[in-house]
Amino acid sequence: MDSPFARMSPLGTMSLSSALALSASVSVVCATIAVLRLFSILPHSGGDAPKPRLRPHHPTCKLSVFLGSGGHTSESLAMISGLDFKKYQPRVYYVSEGDTLSAHKAIELERRKIDATRESSNEVVPSYHGANSNDISRTQPTPDLEGEPYKIVVIPRARRVHQSLLTTPVTALVSLLSCIYFITVQPFLQRKSRKSRFNQRPRGTSSPPAGGADQNEVLVLNGPGTCLMLAAAVYLNRILALPSPVIIYVESFARVSSLSLSGRLIQPFADRFIVQWPQLLRSAKTGEYHGWLV
Amino acid sequence: MRAFVTVGSTRFDALIQEVIKEDILLSLSRSGYDEVSIQCGNSSFEFSSSVADGSVHDIERAEVSVSCWKFKPNLEEEYEEADLVISHAGSGTILDVLRKGKRLIVVPNETLLDNHQHELAIALEEKNHLKSSTIADLAQTINEINTAQLTPFPPHDGKLFAGVLDITMGFI
Repeated sequence: MDSPFARMSPLGTMSLSSALALSASVSVVCATIAVLRLFSILPHSGGDAPKPRLRPHHPTCKLSVFLGSGGHTSESLAMISGLDFKKYQPRVYYVSEGDTLSAHKAIELERRKIDATRESSNEVVPSYHGANSNDISRTQPTPDLEGEPYKIVVIPRARRVHQSLLTTPVTALVSLLSCIYFITVQPFLQRKSRKSRFNQRPRGTSSPPAGGADQNEVLVLNGPGTCLMLAAAVYLNRILALPSPVIIYVESFARVSSLSLSGRLIQPFADRFIVQWPQLLRSAKTGEYHGWLV
Repeated sequence: MRAFVTVGSTRFDALIQEVIKEDILLSLSRSGYDEVSIQCGNSSFEFSSSVADGSVHDIERAEVSVSCWKFKPNLEEEYEEADLVISHAGSGTILDVLRKGKRLIVVPNETLLDNHQHELAIALEEKNHLKSSTIADLAQTINEINTAQLTPFPPHDGKLFAGVLDITMGFI
């Protein structure tokens, strides 16, 4: 006896070849939509960078920075060291897997900034590792701050030094998936749980959660390759119309007359593309020069 | 006076082999240097087996006390104590040394495929912040650098990037 479901199901009456044709055309349409969407949101094709949140309603800005190890880490931390950490908090430092030196340097900078604040004023400042997270919320009422003033997030390398080009796609994919988790999935889940927590509260106790509260507002990149994976994850958010950080790429101080490979690849996607030698503006075509930032 | 030679995290055989030669050490001693500290990294040279276990190898040559060693977690102290630094052209080392106001000779590693290290050395030499040299010209450059009028390197200006970010994020 024939199952009634076989007749009811569209696939049951459809031949295998037409099913394949249907799924192929659906994927082509989806890919086309994604590509068109990507082109419409590119910074240099009329798309706008995410609008910064209204200041002073949001007195702080959630900052993220990739520490690409060695000279890249030194450059990124030098740039960050000039910022007002009360404005730019909490901070997220992305480091490559196994790069404990960069993580230590980030902790060292955090410690130095706290010491500098202590010396310049007598006000109470939080301990560097968030040990007194209660003190932080007391002295600095910040809606975005949950616990620690900074955190270090480890992501797998897209390509190790001297790694063969053959295996690079595999490691790059692992790295990309990790970036998507931290930039797309995790903020989305946090947003959902925050909303449900808010709905459980008695009415009118506080304002509703802000849209981008769980997402970094800005991502500072300096290279090398792994930073492209972070940028790709940011673009996934933009394609899906989720909150996403502004991408600021600063080409390495070591690049005088030619862009790095990372620089060339990221250029169309960066909201601000900054070089540190004016002669690079000629070959880069677009970009900005503000002197030596490191 | 003290000179410090560094090759960073990798190796630079030609530079390390050169700086322990009699004629380079003679140039240094004639310019008033009596101490040379050499961070040789993984370079292969005369004493590489003596420093392989992480120890320091000391010799006396051309009236200069030379000490060779592989790595230290932090080179800040070495830069502080040195009157002259001779280095590969790594951008991190260049920034660290110039910010300490030390005289710097960089020798770009010509054997590296990517020659952007060379570009940085030339660009900073054009601005008169350092001397760029080669293995063959090193003795000559050492003789010149003590009397050279180098331009002080500008200190780090944290306000530049802070300004860019403050505008981008709507603080200004």
